[in-house]
Amino acid sequence: MLRYNFKYEWLLLIRNRWIQLLSILLFLLFGFAVYNGNQKVEARQANIETAVNELKTQEAETLSVLDSLEKGHKVSVSRWRLPSRPVVIGNSLSRVVNMPAKSTAFIATGQSDLFSHYVEPTVTGDDLSLSYTEMTSPVQLLFGSFDLAFVIIYLLPLLIIAFSFNVLASERESGTLKLLASQPIRIRTWVLQKLGLRFFWLVLCICITLIIVFAIFSFHFAANWTSLLVLLAYIIVYALFWFVLAFATNIWIHSSAKNAIALIGFWVLFVLLSPSILNQLSNSLYPMPSRTLMLNQVRTLKAEATKKQDEILDSYLRDHPEYAINDSTQTRNFYHRYMATQNLIKEELRPVVEKFETQLESQHQWAHTFSWLSPALTVQNALNDLAGTSEKDYQEFRHQSLAFAQEWRNFFLPFMFNNQEFKKSDYKNLPAFEFTYKKDATHLRILGLLGMSLLIILFVFVLKPKNKQVNIVA
Amino acid sequence: MILHTFKKETKELWRDGRVRIAFFIVLLLTTIAVFISTNHYKNVNEQYVEASANEREVWDNQGEKNPHSAAHYGTYAFKPKYPLSLIDQGVDKYTGTSIFLEAHNRNEAQFIAASDQTGLARFGDLTPDFILLFMIPLLLILIAYNSITKEKERGTLTLLNSQGAIGWKIVLGKWIAIFFPVSILLFVLFISTGLLLSNLPDFGVFSWSSLFALFVTYMIYYAIFINLVLIISASVKKSGIALVLSLSVWILICLVLPKMASNLAEYKYPYPTRQEFAANVAKDKKLGLDGHNPWSKAAKELEEQTLKEYGVDSLSQLPFNYDAYRMQKGEEHEAEIFFKHYNYLKTQYSNQNGIYQTLATVSPYLPTRFLSMAIAKTDYNTHWDFSDAAENYRIETQKFLNDHFAKESKLGEWGFKADAGFWKQLPKFNYEPPSLSEIMKTNTSSIIIMLVWFIGSFTLLFFTTKSL
Repeated sequence: MLRYNFKYEWLLLIRNRWIQLLSILLFLLFGFAVYNGNQKVEARQANIETAVNELKTQEAETLSVLDSLEKGHKVSVSRWRLPSRPVVIGNSLSRVVNMPAKSTAFIATGQSDLFSHYVEPTVTGDDLSLSYTEMTSPVQLLFGSFDLAFVIIYLLPLLIIAFSFNVLASERESGTLKLLASQPIRIRTWVLQKLGLRFFWLVLCICITLIIVFAIFSFHFAANWTSLLVLLAYIIVYALFWFVLAFATNIWIHSSAKNAIALIGFWVLFVLLSPSILNQLSNSLYPMPSRTLMLNQVRTLKAEATKKQDEILDSYLRDHPEYAINDSTQTRNFYHRYMATQNLIKEELRPVVEKFETQLESQHQWAHTFSWLSPALTVQNALNDLAGTSEKDYQEFRHQSLAFAQEWRNFFLPFMFNNQEFKKSDYKNLPAFEFTYKKDATHLRILGLLGMSLLIILFVFVLKPKNKQVNIVA
Repeated sequence: MILHTFKKETKELWRDGRVRIAFFIVLLLTTIAVFISTNHYKNVNEQYVEASANEREVWDNQGEKNPHSAAHYGTYAFKPKYPLSLIDQGVDKYTGTSIFLEAHNRNEAQFIAASDQTGLARFGDLTPDFILLFMIPLLLILIAYNSITKEKERGTLTLLNSQGAIGWKIVLGKWIAIFFPVSILLFVLFISTGLLLSNLPDFGVFSWSSLFALFVTYMIYYAIFINLVLIISASVKKSGIALVLSLSVWILICLVLPKMASNLAEYKYPYPTRQEFAANVAKDKKLGLDGHNPWSKAAKELEEQTLKEYGVDSLSQLPFNYDAYRMQKGEEHEAEIFFKHYNYLKTQYSNQNGIYQTLATVSPYLPTRFLSMAIAKTDYNTHWDFSDAAENYRIETQKFLNDHFAKESKLGEWGFKADAGFWKQLPKFNYEPPSLSEIMKTNTSSIIIMLVWFIGSFTLLFFTTKSL
């Protein structure tokens, strides 16, 4: 029977041009999505590169000025912009602290349209002055991006629904079900076989078109074959889930229109409603403190600190005698007081800033715990992780870059407090930054989704529909 | 005939369990969404009032200080939230809420709410606009997809025809029967929102006319959707196919095309990155007058010019503190640079907007979305308007401070301090959002596109159903 089914199904799908239509549609959707993703990644990399090149030119200029200074030549730079002043180097030659795109970044836009991919922390700037959000039109953020993740999560289920909603019902509606019932096969097994075959053809179409599209956009198969396999595995598991749902509704519901409504109901529930409900709940359970009120706190603190600058500097130097130990002049100027107060403000603000971090972390945890409620969410998270554009990745970038900003400041502090000049030879000691992606991606959730699908099949087989086979036919 | 069809369809819809359940689910979701939005609105408004008051207090109580130090210390402009944001949150989540106003710099609005949320936020929030724009059209599809195909499937269409019923009359009856429950839902939602808002203390600029405009916008949107679904239902034979087709149209109009528009817009008219923007501004600034640098070429020119203008030989003979005067001139020059660069952003956006408008001809979702945000004052234009108002205030503040510095001190007197009471004299920042008629004027193209959709889809429906 399986052999007949296989042959008949193949002929049917080819003759009513399902396979052809599906392949073309998938090819167009994947093609457009990958094209968009690539555009974004290219723009991102180009921006970083421009910034790095800009820095290089500036470096060359500064080094030549430093060279002239050390040789005792005259330079045409105003006194407070002399590169021998450490604060000038620390502010004008700040590193391009960047987050390069993963080779798979084009798969999911994730949070990459919202956040910056590089910052340039200066020695006098504070953490709050670093802006991590990108300059984008908010309309764009509102509508989102047509990326591969969108095609997979939103559109693929609809293709599957259109492909499978009337498998059994159409037999009944065209009267062939009675013929079928006379065959020595259980209806459920027959539907399972039929849908299984459709699933097989769909997966084959997906794999082939996706690989062709990837090849067109010169994806490095040799270097990234594991990512490709993981991506395909995710797609297959997600597609399987929707086929299983289609199987269950085909068995339990008897008209094709009702089937379609039920499946679309699932789609709305999983793809549209549950993410927004979960988001709303996480916001209500772990509300973010107000940023505007935080500003008030920052301002008051800064105002107080400025009033007591001298005392702050004194106590700061008492705490950090190493900074000024080699200074024979012991002169103190604006920047000494400023840096000392900056540190104090940072310390005092820490609990306020941390509140935001911990709330976000709790929201994230909460959302993660319940994300299994929606397969769409599970897959979206998995794809974002694969692409390196999840909010975790950007949080990681924030942490690493802020740590670097501190390192950068710390590098210049002894120079400043010792009133020591910055020399050309100090240049090679400047700290450098390299971002490393955190590797804690697990496939546990995806496996969970797979398990869920198998469970539903089992459920359908064990739990017989109330009306017997006869009723199905009738 | 029309009335009979209407009565029969309404009765049938009401008896259909699925429609009833779906209707109640949408109603429940709407109630939850309105409840959440009201709370959010109240919270944000309280924070806004508190933050503005606190900030002003910090400014007023700076004590004796040099006016230019105060200019660097700066102040903040906070963006208010408008009552109708209760219905449409628009792009509020993606625009900052506070702008730092300081000397020499125009800053962008800080603190985008979406950046303080998990990735879930990008799926969308459970807000009334989500229900109005996405869920209710889905509900319409559910109600309407088989309204003509079922007559074909049951063979009742032939019966109707034999009775002498005219195609468009049947369809009109059905049309009204579909529109009726949704319009009641919408009416209840808007009336209750209106009552809720006018009973909130301190409800700001809420107006019933804006609410009404919003109501009409959504009514037209739903009318267009019903037309589309009925056209599909009249053109195919099977209900299942009609449903899947209607759904494909829905996903194309509401999800795919807006995303495509956004990709196209970004690709064709990209914004600079934040750092690039800052670097461009810095480059222009370097070329011109810097209030803090009396040795640059531009500064020398200004010096000569000022001396000539007042007919004196040296700066100390001027009737004001030249240092502060130069500061002010530098400030004005920098303001021009910022104007130029922000104008570039605006041009990029208006070009992007052109793409959205073009695609609006294939997606009625787009003009509805833009119009709804605009009326609710949560769109990008309102944000620009606010940002420009804040910039004007910043420029005025700088002038206020520099003029005081110039008048009250002598050349080279950098140690000058203004009285502690002086800061209170700075006028408060007051922002008036654009009025409804202004909004309508800036969004004429969206309105026209919607009307074209409205009339066009009706005409098409009439011709497809003229002879059923």
